Amino acid sequence: MLDPVMFTGGVYKHDLVTELIEDLGGYLLQKNVTQSEIILLMLVPHDDMPVLEAMNKELRGKLERAPLAGTEIAVVTPTLAIHHLPHPACDVAEYLRRHGAKSNMIGMGRGVAREISQIDEYETALINEHDAVVFIFGNFTDCILKKEHLYQNLSVPVIITGGPEMKKEDLPYAFEYVPNVGRIAHRSRKATEIGSLDNIVAAAGRALDSVRSQISKDPLTTTPPRVMEAVREQVPDITQSLSPLPIALNLNGLRIKLPFEEYHEAVAMVTFDEGVTLGEIAKIVPSRMKNYILVRILPNSETGFVV
Amino acid sequence: MEMDPLEVFEVEMPGEDYGAEKYREIILDILQDLGLIRSIGRLYVYVDIKAPYFAVLGMIRGKQPPLKVSDVGDLVQADGGYQITVEDEEHMANLIRALWDAYGRDKVEQPERNVLVVLSDKSPEDLVVADLETEFRRDLMDALVRIAPEGFRNRRNEMGKESFFFLAAEETIKPEMVAEAKEKLGGMRDA
Repeated sequence: MLDPVMFTGGVYKHDLVTELIEDLGGYLLQKNVTQSEIILLMLVPHDDMPVLEAMNKELRGKLERAPLAGTEIAVVTPTLAIHHLPHPACDVAEYLRRHGAKSNMIGMGRGVAREISQIDEYETALINEHDAVVFIFGNFTDCILKKEHLYQNLSVPVIITGGPEMKKEDLPYAFEYVPNVGRIAHRSRKATEIGSLDNIVAAAGRALDSVRSQISKDPLTTTPPRVMEAVREQVPDITQSLSPLPIALNLNGLRIKLPFEEYHEAVAMVTFDEGVTLGEIAKIVPSRMKNYILVRILPNSETGFVV
Repeated sequence: MEMDPLEVFEVEMPGEDYGAEKYREIILDILQDLGLIRSIGRLYVYVDIKAPYFAVLGMIRGKQPPLKVSDVGDLVQADGGYQITVEDEEHMANLIRALWDAYGRDKVEQPERNVLVVLSDKSPEDLVVADLETEFRRDLMDALVRIAPEGFRNRRNEMGKESFFFLAAEETIKPEMVAEAKEKLGGMRDA
């Protein structure tokens, strides 16, 4: 059992933390350096948490649980125009990020209005690459009801946010509905607004738990963090990737930010200690995001073993 | 007509009480961002979300006179010309452009950051630096486009001297829709 945690502290001596994680058999998911401060997103074995806590005390850092770590959540707005951005879409995306998720903002091409809104095949596929999605709708009950067709064909859990109070039964295709967000023209700073953001994070947590429980019924052949470690070791060019997060984790795989044409064979040849290659236990396909590589780990029922 | 800034501000959205309350906030936020609140006296907003359309009727508070050189700086006559000392640099760029247009580039000098010298016998006192009225109307239009829900891409606006009417809709705007919106807004105004 791995615990997702976030360490915030000084850059000085932070390598002690990363070394400790390595020794404990945990995984470093993300490392963000902002001038003299560093944010580390990690998965740590549950039983070894006291060791990390002791180290954290010594370094005078801040150690928090990051329930959404290792997941990717899409934040979708009807378009990227001034009506929806920066408030509240950026607030939601940033808040999810603070709880450890990797959030991607997606502005739809034709998502606006009641009658004419539509989603295309590419957008659907792109959103389906995430673990969950948050749709940001407006203040009119009628419009939120009418926009159902935008998300009813998605295969990931959908969290709808909007202004008015609505019944869950009215939105049968949504995983959950979070009210009191809607369209605003100022930053979320009041306690009630921050509270709504907390509700979104909680809803996202529940959505991800539902995906996890679904996966646990037919476990993956191996875990995404383990694949990430192997790719880092055996495809060294990943360190040359300029993305802030060269390998993004999902619950059922990962996205490797290297050009598909040049690297997909190298990725498929990544070998585990047990002797199997990644190509044998996962689907390696082009991602809808730029020309990245998308890895989807096959479940036990398809490969017949777990490594 | 004498009016206080935003002395009347009504938002009506049948069946969408939450929307009405939130749009009030949005409108105030946007008008504040663009510095328009003081220029608008009364504002009526009517939204029919079933049609759907978004209509605004507003009364403009007084007319703003054009900004002249004497309004933006101190003008003194000096040897062979006039010297303008500008305190507030907001209109500096407009001022220089107006002087260049009127006198030519070679006749305008800027010995210091906030001082301009015009080499001419003709006083620049009555030269128009900025047309605030046009700027205000441009900002107002920008605000209305920002306020209206984004899907409402068909717009119509009638800018009068003392009032303005704005209508945004998803479908083609028909005369009946304009008439209905005007009737509703008129009802709110006369109530």
